[in-house]
Amino acid sequence: MRRIRKHSDDNAKLMKDLRSWLIMLPGLILMAFFVWEPLLESIRMSLFKTENVELVEFIGLKNFISVIGKANFTQALINTFAYTFWSLVIGFLLPVILAMLIGETARGKGIFRTAAYLPNMLPGLAVIILWSAFFSGGKTGVLNILLGNLGIPTQTYLTKANLVIPIIITIATWKGAGATALIYMAGMAGVNTELYEAAAIDGAGVWKRVRHILIPAIKKLAGTMLILQIISVFQIMYEPMVLTKGGPDNASLSLMQLMWQYAFGGAMDYGKASAVAVIVTAILLVMTAIYSYFNRKESDWD
Amino acid sequence: MRKKIIERTGVIRDYDLHSGSVRFWYAAIYVLCAIMAVFAVFPLVWVILAGFKDLKEFMSSTSIMPKNFSPAQFVKTWSQLGLAKNYLNSFISVAGSVLCALLFNGLLGYGLAILKPRGYGVVKKIIMFSLLVPATISIVPLFMNIQRLGMGNSFWPLWLSYGANAMYVVLFIQFFESLPQSMIEASRIDGCSALQTFFRIVMPLSKPICAVITIFAINASWSDFLLPYLVLRGGSKQTVMVRLFVFSTEQTVNADTMMRSVVFSMIPPIILFVLFQKQLTQNNVSAGIKG
Repeated sequence: MRRIRKHSDDNAKLMKDLRSWLIMLPGLILMAFFVWEPLLESIRMSLFKTENVELVEFIGLKNFISVIGKANFTQALINTFAYTFWSLVIGFLLPVILAMLIGETARGKGIFRTAAYLPNMLPGLAVIILWSAFFSGGKTGVLNILLGNLGIPTQTYLTKANLVIPIIITIATWKGAGATALIYMAGMAGVNTELYEAAAIDGAGVWKRVRHILIPAIKKLAGTMLILQIISVFQIMYEPMVLTKGGPDNASLSLMQLMWQYAFGGAMDYGKASAVAVIVTAILLVMTAIYSYFNRKESDWD
Repeated sequence: MRKKIIERTGVIRDYDLHSGSVRFWYAAIYVLCAIMAVFAVFPLVWVILAGFKDLKEFMSSTSIMPKNFSPAQFVKTWSQLGLAKNYLNSFISVAGSVLCALLFNGLLGYGLAILKPRGYGVVKKIIMFSLLVPATISIVPLFMNIQRLGMGNSFWPLWLSYGANAMYVVLFIQFFESLPQSMIEASRIDGCSALQTFFRIVMPLSKPICAVITIFAINASWSDFLLPYLVLRGGSKQTVMVRLFVFSTEQTVNADTMMRSVVFSMIPPIILFVLFQKQLTQNNVSAGIKG
């Protein structure tokens, strides 16, 4: 008797599990079609010679050898690291500082938050086109107009190889820094204000409270934001594509842009494009692994 | 009228302001915030002002203010480029994307946070890992799959792609896990099936997270142009952003028309922002992303 009951219980649980999986099935199919399968497929495709959407012949690592052998790959690889470097210089601390500043204001805080977040709502493509007018080289370029008022002569910007990457990163920072600052503000709001009060009673000045209470409170969050920023900047693509087409002379060409060029820039070489994508993914994985290794190590110390 | 109490939540406390040097720095903070606000808003104001200029004025004037504020140039660009059709396409694309984002990610999150069938942990881990998988990296094979299935020049792949968003799934999971289990249990005891419970109990209780995901999805699908360009290019279903991308790569329009197209592409996100700025800037959901 007891055994039968257990058996039917098992059956009921099995049916319940099945129904649950059925409910998740549409979402799982979509995840498979849009995220998981393409990821694996790009690895497979990178090993094939492709013609239009057909895989014609397995060619091993030839796509990789051919892609890496070209001068534009080395250039794109260096550029992509330069993008990452400049984004850390220009864009990593800025949101933290913004969050600290806005966090201290009482009256007008809502306005500052709103203003900071606004650029993030604007379509990325529109932002790039808008800023291209700012950095346009002629006397009608907005930056030239503004600097002209200060008596500085007309300059060119996007045609200078050493300026173009910092400029693109500045634009990306303009769009994203405010939204990131709001994430930091949410983190800072987690600090109980009584802690500040208590520290003040113990004689800690404003700076001491920032250094010993506020900064430790957001350290972990900053680590997460750091790796997220590196991952996202490493995939920079449409910004240089629209703003400079990778120029001048490939000085702003990024790895992902190179991938797009192979696939959709006329050649329709999906195999080589996938090879670039696989290389980018591999670099990102290595960086994430290094980060989580150090992160774990640091947590051990706590 | 009641006086609004302004609460100070920062490091600087009220009593600090008795000190002269702190008062000075406090004023400096306000100045810096004001500069930041101007810096954030100025480009937007500029592009709207530039939209009033015709080509001749745009190419020759070194003044930021336009000569006149007649909307004629905007009207001309709107009708010349036939943007009404692209607007309609964008709205269709956005509406379907939001529905897919709520339904499919919601159901998946429901399964992983509440139903938890045997083996759900593995799927949850894979979804967490998918958060790190960059979307553009697999755009080539994804586009090939869409081609193979003959879904070119159709909204379907764009809509459905919003049903496969790992971040939305994670947001749903986090919210669903905070729901009172007793209400979900009660609906089971009342004889609701798992699916009925989702639509009648879980989703109505989850309005805050649905609102956030709706706003995210509207903005993302309105601004999206890479996959839409590949799927819709050349056809009759091009969205505003696809047109703008084509303008920018093929340089088929004049610089002044380009700036007005930029303004048109920004209007819906700005309206969305004005309507929901409270939810967007004061919601702690953004903090949830860090987890």
